[in-house]
Amino acid sequence: MAVTSKYLSGADKPRAEHHEEEHDPRESLMYDPLPRGVMNEMVMESMHATSWKFWLVLGILVFLVATCFFYAWGYMIANGLGVAGVMRPSYWGVFLVNTVFWIGISHAGTFISAILRVFKAEFRRPFTRAAELMTTFGLIQAGASIFMHLGRVWLAYWMFPIPNERQLWPNFHSPLMWDLLAITTYVLGSTMYLFLPLIPDLAMARDRSAGWRKIFYRILALGFRGTEGEWRHLTTAMNIFAFAIIPVMFSVHTIVSWDFAMAMRPGWSSTVFGPYFVLGALHSGMGAVAIVLFLMRATMKHMDYFIRKEHFDALGKLMLIVSMAYAYFFFNDYIVQWYGGDAATDNLLHWLEAGPMAWMFFQMIGFNIVLPFLTLWNRRVRQTPWLLAIIGLLINVGMYWERYIIIPVMLTINRMPFTWKLYEPRIEIFLTIGTFSMFLLFYMIASRLIPLIPVWEVQEGQMVHSLRKVGKAHVPTVSEFE
Amino acid sequence: MSDTTLLALFEDIDPAANAIEKLHEMGVTDDRISVISGVPISHKMLGRPHPWTNVSRLALGGAVAGFLFGLFLNFGTPFLYGVRVGGQALFPIPPGLILVFEMTMLFALLSTFLGVFLESYFPNYRAMEYVPQVSDGKIGIFFKAPEDEQQKFEDALNQLGAESVKTAEARQL
Repeated sequence: MAVTSKYLSGADKPRAEHHEEEHDPRESLMYDPLPRGVMNEMVMESMHATSWKFWLVLGILVFLVATCFFYAWGYMIANGLGVAGVMRPSYWGVFLVNTVFWIGISHAGTFISAILRVFKAEFRRPFTRAAELMTTFGLIQAGASIFMHLGRVWLAYWMFPIPNERQLWPNFHSPLMWDLLAITTYVLGSTMYLFLPLIPDLAMARDRSAGWRKIFYRILALGFRGTEGEWRHLTTAMNIFAFAIIPVMFSVHTIVSWDFAMAMRPGWSSTVFGPYFVLGALHSGMGAVAIVLFLMRATMKHMDYFIRKEHFDALGKLMLIVSMAYAYFFFNDYIVQWYGGDAATDNLLHWLEAGPMAWMFFQMIGFNIVLPFLTLWNRRVRQTPWLLAIIGLLINVGMYWERYIIIPVMLTINRMPFTWKLYEPRIEIFLTIGTFSMFLLFYMIASRLIPLIPVWEVQEGQMVHSLRKVGKAHVPTVSEFE
Repeated sequence: MSDTTLLALFEDIDPAANAIEKLHEMGVTDDRISVISGVPISHKMLGRPHPWTNVSRLALGGAVAGFLFGLFLNFGTPFLYGVRVGGQALFPIPPGLILVFEMTMLFALLSTFLGVFLESYFPNYRAMEYVPQVSDGKIGIFFKAPEDEQQKFEDALNQLGAESVKTAEARQL
């Protein structure tokens, strides 16, 4: 006996078909392949196409770097740290806020490239390099900010483990020395990790360039041809890097958190500071990736083919998850201190909630926790690039405030009320503008010199993805290529 | 009769794998064949021997060296010049673990990176047998064949779908 059925909703089409229309897998980059040669041309064109707007922004950034970074830093070196706002009780000011902030930004590259590579998250493929570049350029700014904080920067070599005339070695038991070692390891590791997967794309650029670009790519491509042996060595190294850089990434921001947590100060002495800092770093890093992807898509030719709504959607989901984890650690850190009843800590918490910096404290909570919770549940929000970029920007504002609260504000409200004095940054403001400008400048230059899309990884992904017809639907399938 | 190196270009993996099988049938051994491609293709797909790499061994060697260097920094340097602080151990274990970990990872990563250079003979700017179409996704098979049998190989590979079969030329990359 034949069975007939009705659609209760009264819709003309079966619900499954309607659903398929919304999520057509063929809209995904992995199921919408183009010939490799075409993709290569698109990436090369995106590097070569520069409008007057590009040069205008570049010129402004060069000016800002020259004045706010080099001139301001030179002025501070010539006149001493007295031109900065750091003084008792806030000996650690914006320089260290910037250091922590930039290290946080740098975490996105490793997270997206290494962790998602290890877990074979396919959506990562077109934007791993954009994220890895953020790691390297962010760490350069973090390093510069530490050197600014040193003041007498020419004595920085005292931290290096080299024998000197006094045969005095650095004190490796100090958390500040752990910082030096961890950040050095991370800078070198992430730069090498950026370079290795870049080699095949540099070879591609070499094959399609002339003049000075040809020489540039020829030198950097190292003579790569794509032999079986070269691929084998390269992929083995990339696998080792993907696994090894993850604990290094966790160690870096944990050690940065220990700079604070090892001290017996209100607000700092916390056992959850390590994971709390790591989550905070990922939170700001993810937000920064959203901004970069939006800018790439909006300003660079052909990027709308490589960077699609699906990528923003996946990134938005990651941002939401990281935001939840961040909220958990924030509350954990807060409630334990609040419940402890220590008088100095009570003073600090009351000051944060009702003092002159309360606006910063509540903005931090609003941007880092409330905003992602309210918005990123929605698929339409996640799939709207400019909206996700704005959310990413606000998360970064919130995360900057978080670091500002942890460093100069928490140093202000200490156990000696007679020293309480609100920190007021002076030359630090220019140097902060300088580091941001330099980061953007490096990124803009890189966008015209190196392929921001790892074309070979995209092609590899497209080769292993296929659509299988199951009943009336096309089901995405992925096969192992190795 | 001397050998000549031929280059056959293929669009896809399947005909390339068939071509390698055919070359084996025609008496060309694996050590006289090499493959270049724009994406990493598994040796199993092409029916090729597993390419050997020492990168992971070098990484392990680097990790051991880094571990020892970390031990030296943590335990050796205070021994060379001890800075004694009241109530503090001269050779504390917990901070030492951090130091040893960072040095182990740093040396492991450095040696992995250098391993790729050593194993791949990078940088190499000499003239090499290469075709730029490889970075457009084509698969190139280089093989050595007797000069007088060149036509026979060309015909066989063309039948299997080769886009072109020609004498390989070394070129400046």
